[in-house]
Amino acid sequence: MITINNVTKEYAGKTAVKNLDLVVPDGKIFGFLGPNGAGKSTTIKMITGILPIDEGTITVNGHDIASHPMKAKKTFGYVPDSPDIFLRLKGIEYLNFIGDIFEIPKNIREEKIEHLTKSFGIFEALDDHIQTYSHGMRQKVVVSGVLLHDPDVWILDEPLSGLDPKSSFTLKEMMREHAAKGNTVFFSTHVLEVVEQLCDEVAIINKGRLQFRGEMKEMKEKFEADETLEKVFLELTNHE
Amino acid sequence: MNKTLRLIRTMLKMQYSMTGKSSGEKIGYVLLGVFLIPFSGIIISFLNVTVETLYTQLAPSGNENAILGLLFAGMTIVLLFVSMSSILSSFYFAEDIEGFIPYPFYPYQLLAGKAAAPFINLYLTSGVLMVPILTLYGIHSGAGFIYYIYALLLFVVFPVIPFTIMAILLMFFMRFANIAKNKDRTKVFAGLLTFVFIIGFNIIIRLNQNPTQTAEGAAQLIAQQNGLLQVITGMIPPVYFSTMALQNAENLNGLIFLVLMLTISTGGIFLFLTAGQKLYFKGVLGLTTGSTKTFDSGKAAKKIKAQPVFLALLLKELRTIFRTPTFFMQIIVQSLFGPVFLIVILLFESSSGSFGALSSLLEQFGKKTSLLLLFIFTLFLLGVNPASYSSVSRDGRSWPANLYLPIPAQSVIFSKVMTAWLINLLSIILLAVVGLTIIQMPPLLFIAWITLTLLASWFTCLVGTALDLNDPKLNWTDEQEVFKSRFISLIALLIEIGTFGFFVLLLWNIDTLQSLWMTSILLSLLLAAAIAISHVALQKLIRTKFLYTR
Repeated sequence: MITINNVTKEYAGKTAVKNLDLVVPDGKIFGFLGPNGAGKSTTIKMITGILPIDEGTITVNGHDIASHPMKAKKTFGYVPDSPDIFLRLKGIEYLNFIGDIFEIPKNIREEKIEHLTKSFGIFEALDDHIQTYSHGMRQKVVVSGVLLHDPDVWILDEPLSGLDPKSSFTLKEMMREHAAKGNTVFFSTHVLEVVEQLCDEVAIINKGRLQFRGEMKEMKEKFEADETLEKVFLELTNHE
Repeated sequence: MNKTLRLIRTMLKMQYSMTGKSSGEKIGYVLLGVFLIPFSGIIISFLNVTVETLYTQLAPSGNENAILGLLFAGMTIVLLFVSMSSILSSFYFAEDIEGFIPYPFYPYQLLAGKAAAPFINLYLTSGVLMVPILTLYGIHSGAGFIYYIYALLLFVVFPVIPFTIMAILLMFFMRFANIAKNKDRTKVFAGLLTFVFIIGFNIIIRLNQNPTQTAEGAAQLIAQQNGLLQVITGMIPPVYFSTMALQNAENLNGLIFLVLMLTISTGGIFLFLTAGQKLYFKGVLGLTTGSTKTFDSGKAAKKIKAQPVFLALLLKELRTIFRTPTFFMQIIVQSLFGPVFLIVILLFESSSGSFGALSSLLEQFGKKTSLLLLFIFTLFLLGVNPASYSSVSRDGRSWPANLYLPIPAQSVIFSKVMTAWLINLLSIILLAVVGLTIIQMPPLLFIAWITLTLLASWFTCLVGTALDLNDPKLNWTDEQEVFKSRFISLIALLIEIGTFGFFVLLLWNIDTLQSLWMTSILLSLLLAAAIAISHVALQKLIRTKFLYTR
C-alpha cells in the first residue's frame, strides 16, 4: 500500500504537485494518468525517494520514505521512465548487482534470473554490455531486476513504452498476477487502451492537482456511459 | 554550397558552443588565455634562438633552406598524427553522425561538415609552430613581402595533404578492417598512442634543454647530412614544393612551385571528398553492432555470485572506469602518467650518469629533509586524482538509482572513495618500485614514506569526492564533460598542497626536529587530523547534499 498525505512539491517557485492525497490500495492495479508535465513523474520520484518532499508525507507499506528510507525502499521495486542506467555493466552483472543489494541467495538468484530473462527473451544477451541493448531490451533488464527481488509494491513509470507486443503481454500478465496475490501495482502511463484493459483503479492528475480518483467503472459512470475513455480524459484534464 | 556551409556551421556549433557553460567556466577560459600569453612568449623566444642559430650556421654554406625542409617535413609528421586522433573522434566516435544520416545530405556534405573540426585542430597545431618559425625565418633571412604572402598561403593549404592521406587511410581501414566494431578498444588505443607521443615528446624536450647548443649540433648534422635531407624532402612532394616556393619567393620558380602546391592541395580536397563518398558511409554505418556470442545456464551460473553490498558497489565503479574509454584515459592512464614519466626520466638520467647525484642528494639532505621532500612531491603527484573528483559526476543519469535502491548513502559515497584510493594504489606501487630499485632508498625512510603516502592518498580521495559531491556535474551527454573545463581538480590540489605545504614548511624550519621517527609521527598525526576533518566534512555533505543532488 502507498499512502500519499497532503504532499506539495515546488521547483524554482513553480508548484509541480499541490496538496496531493492519494491511497494506492493492495490487491489492485492502480493507473496514474495525466498529460505531459502534470506532475506524474514528480510524484513517482517523491514516492521512490529520488526527490525530497517539500510538505506532507509518503509511506510505502507503512514505512515513511523520508524518515525510514531503507525500510521503505526494501519493500518496493521501481522501473524508471528511462532505462538508460549502468550502461557499462553487462546485463548479468546488473542483475547480480541488484541481487547483492537486496541480498537474494545465490540459488534463488540463478533460478529467477534465468526464468525471468528467458520469458522476456533477453537471456542470450545477458553477457553483453547494456550499452549495446535496444531501448526495449534495456527496459526488460530493469523490469527483470525489479521482479528479481520480488517486492510487495511495484512502482512503474511508463513501463510498457518500448516493449514489443509479446513482452508487453508478459508484463501485463505479471502485473495482474502480482495484484491478484494481494500486492500493490502502481504505474503511470499515457496510453489509455492500457488503462482500460488493465486498471482496477485510476487517478488523474493535472497541473499538480488530483482531478479524479476511483474505480474505472465509476469514472465512466460519472460521465455519460457511451463516452470513450479518451473523451473522459480530455474533459478531466482540459476543461476545468 | 549554402547547405554545406550551414551544415558545417551547425556541426561546429555543436562542438564548440559556449551555451550551457556556467559563467565560472567562461571566466576559466579567459584565465587560461591570460596564462597562455607568457607561455607563448617562452615558446617564441625558444624558437627564435633555434632558428637564428640554425640560420647563421647554415647560411654561409647555402644550406639554410634545410630549415624550411625540416619544418615542413616535421609538420607533415605532426599533422598526420593530429589528423589521426581528430579524424577518428570526429568521423567515427562523435555520436552526432547518426543524427545527421537520415537528413537529405550528400555524403560529401556530411564529410565537409565532419572535416571542419579536425581542420580547426590542424590549424591550431600548425599555428603554434609554423607561423612563428616561418615568420622568424623571414626576419632572419631578410625576406620580402612576397615571402610572407606565400607563407600565409602555404599555412592555409599545407594541412590538406596530411589530412587527406590520413583520412583516406582511416576510412579504408574502418571500412574493411572494421575496427569500428571495437569502438571502445580503438578509442583507448588511439588515446594510449597520444600519451606515448606526449611522453616521447617530453623526453626529447628534456634532452634538449639548451636550444643554442642543440641547434648548433643540429646545424652541423644538417650540413653533413644535407644530401640525405634533400632526398627525404624530395620524396614528399608537398614538403619539396613548399620549401622551394618559399626559397625562391622572389623569382618565377617560386611562383611555379606555389601553384604546384595549390594544385595538389585542391586535388587532395577532391580526392578526399570522392574517396569519402565511397568509403565513409560504409564504415560508419557498420558502427552499431549486435552480439554473436551464445550464453547458456552454465555460463550464467558462473557469473552469478553473492557478495557484500560494498564490494558490489566497488566492482561496479571499477568496471565502469575500466570499460568507459574516456574514464579509462582520464583516470587510469592520467594517474599513471606522472609515475611512468618519472621512471622514464630517472632511467634516462641514470644511464647518462647524472643519476648518482640523486641518491647522494637524498643522503646529503638528511633523513628529515628527504622525507619532507618526498612527501610533498608524492602529494603533488597523487593530489591530481581524477577518480576522486569525478566520483559522483561519473554516474551521470544513473545517479537516481543510488536514491531509489535501498543502499545507505555512506556505502555509495565510501565505495567511491575506496575506488579512487585503489586506483591511486597503482601509482603508489609504481613509485614504491622506483624508490626501492632505482633510487635504492634506505629501508626506514622507505617505510615511513610509503605509510605516509597511503594515508595521504586517503586524504586526497576524501577531498576530491567531497568537492564533487558538493557540486557534481550529472547532466552530461558525453563523458568528456565530467572532466572538461571543471576547475575542481585545481581546487582539490590547492586544498591539499595548501594545507600540507604549510605544515611541511613548518616542520622544515624547526631545527630541533631532526629524527626521521619524530618527523614521521608528526606528519602522520597531521594527516590523521586532516583525514578526520575531511571525514566529518564528507559526512556532513552526505547528509545535506546526497538527496539533493541531481
